[in-house]
Amino acid sequence: MAFEAFPPLIADQLHYLLNHSSDSIKIENVRSGNRFNPRILDRFTLVIPYCLDAIKWDVIYNSEYPSAPPDFIFGPDDEDFMPCSSTIAPVDSLLDKALSEWNNQDSTLLLVLIQGLRDQYVAYQRKRVGQVDDDRVKFEISTVLTRKRIEMQMTSGADKPEEVKFAVPLVMDMSVNKLVVGCPWKNEQKIYLQVVYPILRKYESAPSSPRLKLVSSSDLKALFSVVDVKLPPWMDGMCLAEYLPHLEETLERQILEAVSAIVVRRSFVEALTLFLGRPLEADPTFCRKASFLATSGPFPFVVHFFFPTQFPKQQPALMLQSCQHLNQLSEPVKLNLLTDYPWSPRWEVGRMAERLCDFLTDEAVNFKKYCNEALLQH
Amino acid sequence: MDDLSLERIEIPGPTLASLIQRASSSPGDVDGLLFGQIHRIASTTLSDDSPAEPPPSSSSSSSDQIVATVTSFISSGKTVSFYDPLGRVDSRRIDSLQLGSPDRLLGWFSARRTTANRPSMRELAVASSLSSRFQLPIENSESPNSMPSSVFILLTTPLTDQLIHTHEYRAYQFRPLNRRLEPRSLGIVNIGPAFRGHYGSFNPKSGFPPLLCEVSSSAMMNEDRDEGSLSGKKQAVKDQKEVDALADGFGVGSLKRLVGPEAASYTGGVEEMYERMLAKVESLASEVEKSSAKVLELDNHNRKLRYRVARIER
Repeated sequence: MAFEAFPPLIADQLHYLLNHSSDSIKIENVRSGNRFNPRILDRFTLVIPYCLDAIKWDVIYNSEYPSAPPDFIFGPDDEDFMPCSSTIAPVDSLLDKALSEWNNQDSTLLLVLIQGLRDQYVAYQRKRVGQVDDDRVKFEISTVLTRKRIEMQMTSGADKPEEVKFAVPLVMDMSVNKLVVGCPWKNEQKIYLQVVYPILRKYESAPSSPRLKLVSSSDLKALFSVVDVKLPPWMDGMCLAEYLPHLEETLERQILEAVSAIVVRRSFVEALTLFLGRPLEADPTFCRKASFLATSGPFPFVVHFFFPTQFPKQQPALMLQSCQHLNQLSEPVKLNLLTDYPWSPRWEVGRMAERLCDFLTDEAVNFKKYCNEALLQH
Repeated sequence: MDDLSLERIEIPGPTLASLIQRASSSPGDVDGLLFGQIHRIASTTLSDDSPAEPPPSSSSSSSDQIVATVTSFISSGKTVSFYDPLGRVDSRRIDSLQLGSPDRLLGWFSARRTTANRPSMRELAVASSLSSRFQLPIENSESPNSMPSSVFILLTTPLTDQLIHTHEYRAYQFRPLNRRLEPRSLGIVNIGPAFRGHYGSFNPKSGFPPLLCEVSSSAMMNEDRDEGSLSGKKQAVKDQKEVDALADGFGVGSLKRLVGPEAASYTGGVEEMYERMLAKVESLASEVEKSSAKVLELDNHNRKLRYRVARIER
């Protein structure tokens, strides 16, 4: 993202905000409110993650008076959100202080403002959800509030059904980051359960079960895919406080399995080296990818292995790439992903590697033929 | 104090036009104060038709409407002018802005380019602070007879260039009870038969001094005058002097010569007076032009300094 068009001091504040925020905030829709210099940008929209969704807040500076603090416009559904209209109360919060003692040379202040506002927004949404006239939601709030950092959101509107959304961070007895050897992640990886309660209308008798969805921080995908997790069923009359411990236990077990799967994948790659020699390239942390140089007579080619998280239950996908043939675009000729070959998860790792290499020897002949044909057409 | 709801907010066409012009000609965002009046309008159910159908049975007092009329405004030329960044209103700064305006403070406005047309965090706080500290009387009403200065007009320009219109405006009233800015319809009052109803309760208020000087010199009036205090007389003499200065040696008393047999011969004198007045206006206009040029120069200089402080290179 280029910040050159912003006045330097505003650009500093933005840089600091985007680099130091614990949430991954995005900036969009940058624009100018200056009549004489429309190239000087001074207003933009921040996309801030909230409750596994995003809220959009407009930030308005005045490039004609760059020393003044920014103003904010919140979402159209949040017109009751008034973080600093406490005209009677004394100035005490960090947010109020940052605004009233604004200093545009201090590049950290925008982050302080956004964090302060977001904290207030969490409280505001919790209050809104607390006011919902629904027995189940009231009960859930009272039982689940002992858990920290739960975010709630009330969605309502003319065309949308009323819903209450919870984002519950799941608590596990271990740190995923510490389990992975040589972990490259900066932030602690987390898994959240999103629970959406439809609000009961007057004429409905029994509450329908909530919609559940697991969401993980994006880096976790390399190790463990939450999409593959089969959620335990939600029984009638169940509540979140009952449901969560069971789910957390299941997930804990599955993550441990996923971590041990790294070892299996690594030993498989090591077994392959007996047949194919040292890999050209291999993912050392999660062992999700490995590339080997192979030959079939005088024909050299590269085999790429892509390992699913479910390995060895699911077999790796293979891709063959020629070292001698180029297509019309001057790219190496490649074969589509191969997943259909003899495989059994019950085989020993050494046998897996051996069988796979047998398959490769046969496939290499076909691949060479395919490459030569591609070259002739060319 | 009751939390009264405004039925609508009215603004004369020229005032709105000048407000939009002020917003669009300013280099950046601006805010300012709105002045005006609040009226209670008794809704009449009289009609020329025969009263075959009785009017809906609602008590007259409850169907009264309260209407705010914006009569003038003053722009500060910048933002965060009469309040602090937290939105707390500074009454001293309001007084210095309000200086010389004969109207009562009705509310305020904010104009900002390429932004969403809903109130911002600070605007809400300012409206709340302003309405808690200033109020103005409701004309032709017994009780309650005053109301907070709760009107807010928001002027924006659209976010995308694809739209045909170039300006957007919305009017709001701040309601202390739910601490919200509620949208109100903004009625534009123009001259013409269609708008005659709007002037029913309108009291014109101009900046012209209350003139006690008398043109007529009837004995009755003189007697009344004698009863007046000394200070009243002094005021009258002062006003007379002001009027004489405006007329440029042309006695107000001699206006009566315009009527009657002398009129024909006197028109020359009147024309001469008008010419002198026009010359005066012209010289005044050129002076204003010169001083505006100076103000613009200073303004540009200030902007350059501000940019230098913010390290913006042009």
